Order: sequence, then C-alpha cells, then structure tokens
Amino acid sequence: MAEMWIHMGPQHPMTHGLWNLRIKVDGETITDAVPELGYLHRSVEKIGERRKYFMNTTLTDRLCYASAMTWTHCYCLTVEELMGVETPQRAKYIRTIVLELQRIASHLMWLGAYLPDLGLITGFLYGMRDREMFLNLLEIPSGGRLLYNYVRIGGVKRDLPPGFAAKAERVMQTLEQRLKEYEDLYDNSKIFRMRTDDVGCYSASDAINWGITGPNLRSAGVAFDLRQADSYDAYPELDFTPVTTSASDGISDCFSRYRQRIDEMYQSMDLIRQALAKMPEGEVMADSVPVRASGEAFRRTEDSRGEALMYLVGDGTDRPYRWKIRSPMFTTVSASPHFLKGYKVADVPAIMGSIDMCIGETDK
Amino acid sequence: MTSLYEWSYWFCEAWLVPLLTPLLYFQEHIMPPFSNPAGDLARWMESDPGLNVLAWSIVVNVALMIGFTNVIIVVYLERKIAGRIMDRRGPMLSFNSLKEIASDLAGSVPEYNWKTTTYAGIGILQNVADGIKFFCKEMIVPAKADRLLYTIGPVIFISSSILLLILVPFSPRIAASSAPLGLLVVMAAFSIAPIGVLTTGWACNNKYTLIGGMRSAAQLMAYEIPLLLSMAGVFLVAGSFSPMDIVAQQQDASQFGIPMWNVIPQFIGFIVFMVCILAEVERIPFDLPEAEAELVEGWTTEIGGLRLGLTFAAEYIRGFVGAMIATVLFLGGWAGPFLPGEIWFLIKVYGILIFFIILRWSVPRIRTDQILLLGWKRLLPLSLLNLAIAILFVEVF
Amino acid sequence: METGKLIQQLGKHKGTSNSSALRSNVGCISVTPEASSAFFTALKEDFAFDHCSLISAVDNQSGFELVYHFSIVGESGQMLEVHVDLPRDTPTIDSITHLWGGADWHEREAYDLMGIYFIGHPDLKRVLLPDGFAGHPLRKDYVYEIHEEEW
Repeated sequence: MAEMWIHMGPQHPMTHGLWNLRIKVDGETITDAVPELGYLHRSVEKIGERRKYFMNTTLTDRLCYASAMTWTHCYCLTVEELMGVETPQRAKYIRTIVLELQRIASHLMWLGAYLPDLGLITGFLYGMRDREMFLNLLEIPSGGRLLYNYVRIGGVKRDLPPGFAAKAERVMQTLEQRLKEYEDLYDNSKIFRMRTDDVGCYSASDAINWGITGPNLRSAGVAFDLRQADSYDAYPELDFTPVTTSASDGISDCFSRYRQRIDEMYQSMDLIRQALAKMPEGEVMADSVPVRASGEAFRRTEDSRGEALMYLVGDGTDRPYRWKIRSPMFTTVSASPHFLKGYKVADVPAIMGSIDMCIGETDK
Repeated sequence: MTSLYEWSYWFCEAWLVPLLTPLLYFQEHIMPPFSNPAGDLARWMESDPGLNVLAWSIVVNVALMIGFTNVIIVVYLERKIAGRIMDRRGPMLSFNSLKEIASDLAGSVPEYNWKTTTYAGIGILQNVADGIKFFCKEMIVPAKADRLLYTIGPVIFISSSILLLILVPFSPRIAASSAPLGLLVVMAAFSIAPIGVLTTGWACNNKYTLIGGMRSAAQLMAYEIPLLLSMAGVFLVAGSFSPMDIVAQQQDASQFGIPMWNVIPQFIGFIVFMVCILAEVERIPFDLPEAEAELVEGWTTEIGGLRLGLTFAAEYIRGFVGAMIATVLFLGGWAGPFLPGEIWFLIKVYGILIFFIILRWSVPRIRTDQILLLGWKRLLPLSLLNLAIAILFVEVF
Repeated sequence: METGKLIQQLGKHKGTSNSSALRSNVGCISVTPEASSAFFTALKEDFAFDHCSLISAVDNQSGFELVYHFSIVGESGQMLEVHVDLPRDTPTIDSITHLWGGADWHEREAYDLMGIYFIGHPDLKRVLLPDGFAGHPLRKDYVYEIHEEEW
C-alpha cells in the first residue's frame, strides 16, 4: 500500500500545546515520524539576558504552565549557586513542600490529559477536579493558581500560614482515596490495559542514550532521581528512595509510565508529610541577596517531567550574560521517532500522551 | 388497523384525497384550449399507487418526528448522565433562564449577583440552542473536495438512518410497516451507511477523513457477520423474521409461568449482539471512525453546519434503532404486565440506551487492530456457538 | 569514582587543561576542539558518562565557548562540565551524536541560535526557528530587524 505523510499538528487534539508531528504511515502502521517545534518559541534565553536576575523569575514561571513552581525553583537555585547565597533552613523545607505539591498537581494534570487521548473524556474531569485541590493549597502561600512567583532568590516570598499542615493533610487524604478509585477504574480496565500494555516500548539503555530523564526513565526500572543523586533543599534530610516501575526487565511501556506517575504521587505525599513534620522555625528569606554576579554556575533539579538544568554565566553586571535552559521534554521529543515507529496511528496519542508533553518548556 | 401505514392509507383514501381532488378537477377545464395536468394528478391520487405514495409520505414524516423527539431525549440524557458521571451538573439551560439571558442580551444587566443569576434549570433547552447553532452555520464545501460525492455522502448516511425508523415497530398498534422480511430489511438498511461514510471520507480530500472512512468500512464489515449470526439464533427459534412473530414467540415460550425471553436461553447471543450493535452504531469503545484524539473528528472532520447536525442526529437514531432491535430480539419487545405495550417498549429501549451512555463515559477507546481481532477471533466463534445452542433448543424442545 | 581522581585521570588526555572540581560530585575541564573527538569517545567508553545533559554555546565576543554537561546515571550523580573554545570565524566541532543520541537536538539548537557547525551531525538544520531565518539570534552581535516574511 502507498505510504503517506500525516500532519498531527500544529492544531490537533493529540498535541497538548502547539507543535507538529509529521508521521509517515503505511496503512495504519507508522514507518517514520518527524517532530517539529518552534511554534511557541518565545526566546526566553534572549529576553533573560536583558533583564535583571530577580526579574527573570516571571519568565521561568511561564516556562511550563503545568509546573511553574519547579522551573522557578531551578532558576533560583542556579542564581543562588552563582551568587553564593545561603538559603535559610525553613525556606528549604517550604520549597520542598511546594515543589512536591506542584509535582502532584502536574501529574494530576497529566492524568487528566492522558485519558482523553485514549478516548475517555471522563478522566479529564477527574484529573482537573483533583488538581483543583492542590491549586487551592498552592494559592494559600503564593496567591497564585497557575503562575506563582513564590520561590525567590534567597528563599521564598512569605511563610506558610498557620493551619497549612492540617489543610494539606486533608487534601492528601482525599487524593489517596481518589487514587484508589482511579486504580480500580484504570488499572483493572481491560480496554485501558489493551491500549497501554506493550505500546511505545523503549529499553532503559536506549532511554539513557537518548537523554530521556525523570519519570519516563524511572518507568524503565532505572532508579535515577536527581532529588537523591544531586540533592538540593531539604531532600537530603528526608527519607526516601526513588520509585521505579517497569513493564518487563528494563523496558518501559505506556502502562508503566502511567503507573510510575501514580506511584510518584504517593511518594510526593509521603515527602510532604515528612517535610511538614520536620520543618524548623526561622526566617524564610536570606538576609541579603546581591544584585550583581560574575562567573558561571549550573544546577539541575528533578522537574515534574525530568531533569531540568540551568546554566548561567554572569559578567559582573546585574543581568545574566548567558542563560541556558535544559528542558527534559526537548530531548524526549527528539527521541520520539524511535519509540513511535512500528505502532499504529491510534497509538500516537497514547504514546505521546504518556511521556507528558509540555510544549512551553520544550520551545522555551 | 395493524400498522401506521394502513392507518394513513385509510386516512388518505377516506379524507385527504376526497377533499383535495374536487379542487384539482375544478382546475382541469378552467381554460378550455389548454390541457391542465391537475386532473391527471387527481386521477393518479385516487389510484392505488398515488394513495400509496401519499400514505408513505405521512408515515415517513411521523417516523421522522418520533425519531427526532427521541434524539432530543437521548442527547439530553447523554449530557445529563455524562455530567453526573463526571462529577458535574451537565447542561442547565431551561425556560427559566431565558428571561435572564434576554436581559443580558439587552445589555441591561443590573448589579451582577451570583445568587440570582444562575441560569438554573433542567437543561432541556441546551438541545434547542445546539439545533439553532447548527442551522445558523454556513455550509462550507472544501475547495479541493469532490463536490458531488461530498454532498451525497452525508445524505446517504442520514437518509438510510431515518429509513431504519420506519422498519422497526413500537408495538402492534404503532408500526410503520409490517414487511414479511422484517428485521432482515433493517439489517440491510443498517449496512447502507458505510457507503456514505466511505464516500464522504474519500470525497473530503483529507487524510483524517480518509482513514476514518476506511476504518468505518473495515469495522462494519467485521461486525456485520457475528451480528447477523447472533440474530439468526433468534430467527431460528421464532421461525420468522417478523418482529411481531418474534415477540409473540418469546411470550409463548414461558417456563414455570415466567416468560422465557430470548435473553435467558440465548445469553451468549445477547452479549454478542450488544457488542456488535455498539460497533455498528460506532459508539465508544468502538467509535474508531471518529476517534477525536488521533483523527480530529474522523470522517466528519470536513462536514459542517446542518449536515453535521443531521449526521449527529442520524448517529443517535442508529443507536436508538439498535436498542429497539435488541429489545425486540432478546428482551421480549413490548410485552409486559399492567402498562401499555408502547410504554414497556420505551422503558426497555431506554434502559439499553442508558447502559450505552454509561459505558461510553466509563471506558477508553479500543484500537483498530484490536477491534478487528475481537470481531473475527472472539465474536464470530461465540455467535456460531450461540447458533448451535439455538439449533439444539429448537430440535430438543 | 571520586571527582578529584576523575579530574586527575582526565587531565592526562591530550589537549586538556584547567581541570578543577566545582562541587563534590562535579568536575570541570577544558579541551581543545581538535582533541575533543577522542576525548569525548574516551569519556563515553572509559569513564561511563552515559548521559549528555546539555550543550550550551556561549558567545564570548572574542570567540565561542561550548559547554558540555555530562553525567552518570546512577546514585553518585557524578557530573562533568567540559569547556571547548572555538574561534569566532570558523565555529566548527565534531558532532557527538553518534556517542550520545540525546545530543542530537542540543547540537541543532546550538546551530540554530548560535551558529555553531557540528561536523558529522546527521540532520543539522534549524529546530526552534523556521527554515530560512536569517542569522543566529543569540549571538551578541545579532541585530534584530523586523522581517517582512511571514513565518
């Protein structure tokens, strides 16, 4: 049968965001795929070179609309490394808590976006309903629901109000019940398993070579978590091991990626509980934060989607000379042709949905 | 008066034609040198073929009205049930909210108050709003589409779906037709639609619609055979294709005072039939031809305006007819105590439809190769097994 | 491997200089573009740096500087920062795509925004900006002009 190219994007229900995936199909089988980016390129790195260090936190919030807190945190961590600022201990704990809350919110949004890809629109409403609770929690200290600008260079904007721990506990208990329901609804669903089992497979060694990180890598059974391997904030003082899942030995498929994110939500709740219990009293902002910086620094953090790395070069002025962002999805999308080939057209949303695309950070 | 057709034949013969023909005869010789066809028309109307055509046009209109009334109710139910499953309320627009909308449109919004401005109601007007929206939209033909086939495709789909309505009876009293081949004709009409789908899919000159049309053809081909085989068991037991005979047989075959509807002895056939009819009417989990995640809107991607509205309505009509056939074949049709037959029939049909709706909002969509695998490797042997059981049933009892 | 020992061993390679330890698990080293190909091959095969995190290109006015971040996927989280200085008029270097598949789009991005040419890259074309875009906007001497073309 003749082969033809199909454009999935830039305006297509499969693309969560604005990008284009060209696939070459033979009948319904994919023989080639070419992802194309740039529709949402805002040139954040170039804009950042004109703005002062502390101004750039508004840009980093907008890198990923589903996980704003983690990106601002990565930037602040890098600037602190560059300037040699020491964050107070309480601020570190607060950061850990809000990061994990943001991670749960991001994973819930992924869950909500993934099930319509498989044809179950109900899942979207469920995911958004639960994400709402976590947005409410994040609204309490930061005042924002999507873009927070809460993590600042040298600490956080303001302290957690009293009673936050009780509210968080209540929300987390609700989520635990809901996650049990979802496990009944999805894990035990024959059709859900038919659509996700053995679809979009890649091995752990291939994933490492292609630069896939984060939940997508851990779903292949690789226990590599930057919260532990390159620890920051309060994570060294918390007790946890990276969760991993895998379809079979060292192979990741759509179901194991789904399972990985559900398990990470449980782990995040555990981390929040630990951090809330251990949180010390004190200041939440460093006494003095310099304005100018020189030299170079980089830090990497475990973003909701993988390894976020920021590299900053300062030239002694109050603006960065060069600012480079590593987006986890940028490399994962570049690898997508490898794990799309050989599957059906109907698997494209299932596979591209399972890697948790966020085009905002990918296009920068 | 056994059917709606016979009633309307009688109505035309006794009332409509005697009232209309004097007018036409009066016109015939009003200008002597010229012949006027009005008299020929009147004579044709008095003849048997003319009465037939008039009677059928009444029947089709009644069927259309019944069909669209039910479509409105099913769409309303679908939205409300989907809303409840999704932990939300569903549409709330109703007559009470019209006043508020009117004042909003007039621009005279007093101080906006969340408590009073609710638009709250049961939500039945949402369908009217949708209908108005479909009416108001422009019908755009894509520049590179095949204009003739693009126009014909939806027409085939919609008209064949409406044809289904006049072939299935509601009860012995309300029946548009009583064809001796009965349900076999319904299945023949069911299988016209793929031609329209494939035609539209090709004519739109769009890759999504093309793949959607192909998927539809493959899927309907695969499911036609187990569907007919699962129906064959019922036909064997009843010894007839007519819905009347099938329902009567189910009532007669009572054991221990309980009517043995076909769902009990032929349970496998019932399951196979329900799965196949779900695939035949293309609802989730088998709505591959319009899988919105990968094919945007499938074969309806390039259709717009009233064509799209009527296509949606036709899909719901197909679902409705599917539930009607399932009721007639397996659930004893209009039989039931106390209530009139029509009510029983509608209760059963809506039960099946609500089951379809709940299913639609709780399972994901299946994949193309898997649906064909299921059809050929699972349902076909099961339907054969059911047929064997039916033969045993007929031979032994 | 401990960072100090790693730096020591890497410093023995041809063309390397300025080796130092940035943090407890992060080393830093400079290498000349001519020696880079052999150095990166050794890095992948002898020192098991299996993950290419990032390739950043920095415009130093006098020339370009490529900064590679490599890491080991494992509990140690060992990282290595490699600096390569490139001349301004011929910013070319050997591609590392055959060693780390993940470097593919990072190299394309460096070409796209900074105009670094990677020899041996399988598909070196623009990734974020549209084809036919004039210039490389992250260079310090790039002058922004309003383009008449529609993208």
